[in-house]
Parts: sequence; structure tokens; C-alpha cells
Amino acid sequence: MATDRKLRRRRPPWLAPALLIVPAFLVVFALAAYSAVWLLQLSMVKLTFGDPFRTAEWAGLDNYQWLLFNEFTTFWASLRVTAVYVVGTLVPELIIGFLIALLLNRKMRGNSIFTAALIIPMVLMPSMVGMVGRLYFSPYGLINYFTESLTGIRHNWYGADLALWAAVLVDIWEWTPFFILILLAGLQTLPVEPFEAARVDGASRLQSFIHLTLPLMLPLVMTTLILRLMDVLRLFDVIFVMFGGGPGTATTTLPLYIYRTTLIQRDVGRGSAASVMLIIIIVSLTVILIKLRDRIRYEA
Amino acid sequence: MKIADLRALLGSRFLDLLTIGVVAAFLFPYIFMVSSAFKTRLDTFAYPPIFFQFTPTLEHFENIFSDMNILFYMKNSTIIAVFSTLLTILISIPATYSFARFRFRYKEGVAYGFLFLQMVPGISIVFALFFIAGSLNLSDTHIFLIVVYLLWNVPYAIWMMRGFVEGIPVELEESAMVDGASRFKAFRLITLPLMAGGIAATAILIFIGVWNEFSVAFFLTSTEARTMPTTIAFFMTHSGIKWGPMFATATIGTLPVVIFALLVRRYFISALTFGAVKG
Repeated sequence: MATDRKLRRRRPPWLAPALLIVPAFLVVFALAAYSAVWLLQLSMVKLTFGDPFRTAEWAGLDNYQWLLFNEFTTFWASLRVTAVYVVGTLVPELIIGFLIALLLNRKMRGNSIFTAALIIPMVLMPSMVGMVGRLYFSPYGLINYFTESLTGIRHNWYGADLALWAAVLVDIWEWTPFFILILLAGLQTLPVEPFEAARVDGASRLQSFIHLTLPLMLPLVMTTLILRLMDVLRLFDVIFVMFGGGPGTATTTLPLYIYRTTLIQRDVGRGSAASVMLIIIIVSLTVILIKLRDRIRYEA
Repeated sequence: MKIADLRALLGSRFLDLLTIGVVAAFLFPYIFMVSSAFKTRLDTFAYPPIFFQFTPTLEHFENIFSDMNILFYMKNSTIIAVFSTLLTILISIPATYSFARFRFRYKEGVAYGFLFLQMVPGISIVFALFFIAGSLNLSDTHIFLIVVYLLWNVPYAIWMMRGFVEGIPVELEESAMVDGASRFKAFRLITLPLMAGGIAATAILIFIGVWNEFSVAFFLTSTEARTMPTTIAFFMTHSGIKWGPMFATATIGTLPVVIFALLVRRYFISALTFGAVKG
């Protein structure tokens, strides 16, 4: 009887872990749910920014329909700008980052100072980075001084052709260190044995790089790309401060599109619908890429 | 590896110099920014740019402290960053422990749930938050930003710190419990001190994130709770951009963050990857 009661009084095994998670769960999921309900509601109304919410008119899915199918929609154009921006930043960052990681992956005095220095661009206030970028890319700024010294040409970085690329260059400066540091950490933890075996078998260094280093690094490269993709897709501050989405729509990536639709055109409904799309795009791309990465990891 | 081939070809001296050059190139824009804070307007706009030969001036620093009241915005940023960080850590430690030490159903599902919420872009919900703040009469307040940042900070802290707890052998706690300590006491006396470094690093990284945050703070504050990063709007005046004060503010605003970041640099790779990769 006594043991029976003791058993009955014992707390169920899931109780402790559940109770410990409850505060975090409540805070985060309540905030998310509250925001989500408002966001979805705002995306289905017609409302001018600045007017009180009670003046909103129900619009159903009109905002989504307009964004996706209306002949005057600029949503697809902003997706194109976003795609150019994503590819324009991630590809060079990966390639340059990998090369510099290989360069740093040697025994050399001061290596820890170098890696410390590479942290700095990533932790600077993005809004200030944007402002500084604006000055550096001005007609008589730092960047044009270098291009003129090297090629004799000063570019109009503020123009529609180059503005997005100026923002891309700022991102490459800020975030190539991200690839450098993570890939360097990966290179330093590669197993030694396969490389020794390859050397014994007479493989050249280039061969062992292509057939060993690259495949072994692939899952980490994928992880790094996924993390950066999430960040680049939601990047707002630097582009906003540098160009505000302009000139025209040259730098209107999706986050800038949300801002311009909501605050400049004062259309809360369409802005919120675009926000929902951005969330869907980020989450679904990430899920797909994580699945893909895990498959690669599994096969490797 | 293949680097060794190159080294044989070109000599390691060359690669050393190349490394130094590459790192210097990444540092240069920052150094130039800081030096510009001490330049007169004329020197800032000189073409070709002046790199080192200028007479330093403190006029811009005097200007932002006296005319722009930058201390007020630093105070706001500090309040919001400190309290949001403390709350985050307080809420996240129990959850972290739960994820690291217990086995239960849907554990990884819940953990990924947190991670996916962390991915929600600030800009995509900031206008919804703007309406929420209005409906709660919390527009332009510190407390609203402190709480809102938890949405991103708590998942981040859980993912970061989980790795630190999992790195501490569970046997240490178990042996304390065999000696009669309760689970909580074992945690408090053994695991908590051992994860203190990880907690401090996580806290510093969260502080940096909040200190730098722009998209949410910019649209949710106007006068009372305005933070440092959002002061950039003040430098864009009708008579052009006030570059000197902007550089001075950027210098002061980035200084604590750079120092903090260098303090926790050995945690930085975990920090960048949500604990997925150890440095």
C-alpha cells in the first residue's frame, strides 16, 4: 500500500521538462501568435497608414491577389531584385570566404589576431554601416577614389544601374568574414586520415582538395549558406539607410517593398500581405534547404 | 594540402603578406570611419581622400553630446538592451536545461519551432507590432521594445546555451544527486557555474544584437524610447547630411560592441551558427 501511494504521488516524467519550458514557450509563442493574428488580419483589410484601425474595410484575399496577379503589381519586380541581391552577395561571399579560409588555415603567428579583426565588420551597427557606405560610394568618395586610381573610371554608384551593387559590395565586406570564420573552423576539424591515405595513394594536392576537402566541407558550406540566406532575405537596415529602395525601384528588395508599400504608399493591407509572403518564402526555403543538406550529409 | 604546393611555389612570405593585406582590407573601412570622426568637414570631403595627414578635431563629439543629446539615446539603448538581455537569460536558462538534459516527446519539434520563430524578419511584423503597441497604449515605450525583442532573443539563447549545457558531462550532476542533492541543487552547484562562461557570452551577443537593432526600433519609437541606431535620421537635414556628427556617433556607438565582441571572440563561431558549429 505504501509503495503504491508513493508511486501514485510520483510526478509524471514529462512534468519537469515541460514546466521548465513553459515560461520561454509562453513568452515566445504568445508574442508570435499575437503578432501573427494582427498581421493576418491587417493583410486582409483595406487600411490607410495613419488612420485608426476601426476605419479598416474587410478585403479578404484581395491584397494577395493584387500583389500576385494585378498588371500594375511591382511585387514580382521586387522579388527579382531580391534574387539578384541574394545571388550577388552569397556567391562571392562563399567563394572569397572559402579562399581566405584556406589562406588562413596555415600555421602562422598572429592568426588569432586576424580572426579577431575579421569579427569587427559583422558587429558594427548596420544603420551606421549604411550611412558610412553612402559616403564611401558617393561620386567623390573612397570607392571611386580606388576605382579611379586602378581603372581611371569614377562610377555613379547612386544611379539605378549600380545602386544595388553598391549595397551588395557593402554586404560582401560585412559578411564575407562570416564564411571565413565558419569555414576556417571546419577546415581545422577535418579528419587527417583520408588525406594521408590519399597522399600514400599518390593523389596530387589538387586532387585531394577536389575529392576530399570539398565533399567533406559540403554540409558545412550548406549550413553556412542557409544561415546567410535567412539573413540576406530579411536584410532591411543597410539598404534602407543607403538608398531607401531607390532610385526608382533599383534597390527595392522584398523587405524594402514592405516598407514602401506600408509607409510610402500608406497601404497597410498590401504591405502586410507582402510581409506574410516574405515569411512564407523564408520559412519554406529554409525547410527545403535543411532537408537537402541533411540528405547530402546522410549520403556523405 | 594544396596550399603547400603554392607555398613551395611562391614562398610562405608571400602568403603571410597576402593574409595581412586581406585582413587589413576588411579592417580598413572601419578604421577610416573612426578616423573620419576626427576630421573637419573639409577634410572629410577632400578628394583624393585624406587618410592620415589631418589635424584631429573633437568638434563633432562636442556637437553630439551638447546639441544632439546623444547621451539620452545611449541611455535608451542601454536600458532596452540590458533589460531585454537579462529577461532573455532568465527565461531561457530553465528551457535550455530542459532541452539539454531531459528526453521527452516532440523535443526536437519544439526546439525547431523556436528556431523558425527566430527567423521571422523584424520588418515583416513591425507594422503589426506598431498597431499592437497602439492598441495597448505602449507606443514609444522601453518596455514594449524590451518584450518584443524576446521573440528573437529567447530562441537564440536556447539554441546557443543548449550546446554549452550538453558539453558538460551529465555524470557530474548525477554523482551530486547520488550524494543526496536535489536535481535543482545539483544544477545550481555544478552545472550553472560550469556554464557561466557560456551564459556570459550568450548575454553579450544578445546585448550586441539589441544594441544594433534597427528595423524594429526605428518604426516603434519616436521620441521617448528612441535608440542609438535610429538616430541616423537626425543627420539627414535639409541642408544635407551632417557627416561629422554621424561619424562621431557611429564611432561611439560601435566602440562598446567591438570591445564586447572581441571579449567573446572564442564563442563567436557558435554565436553565428546558433551553436551548430563549434569554433
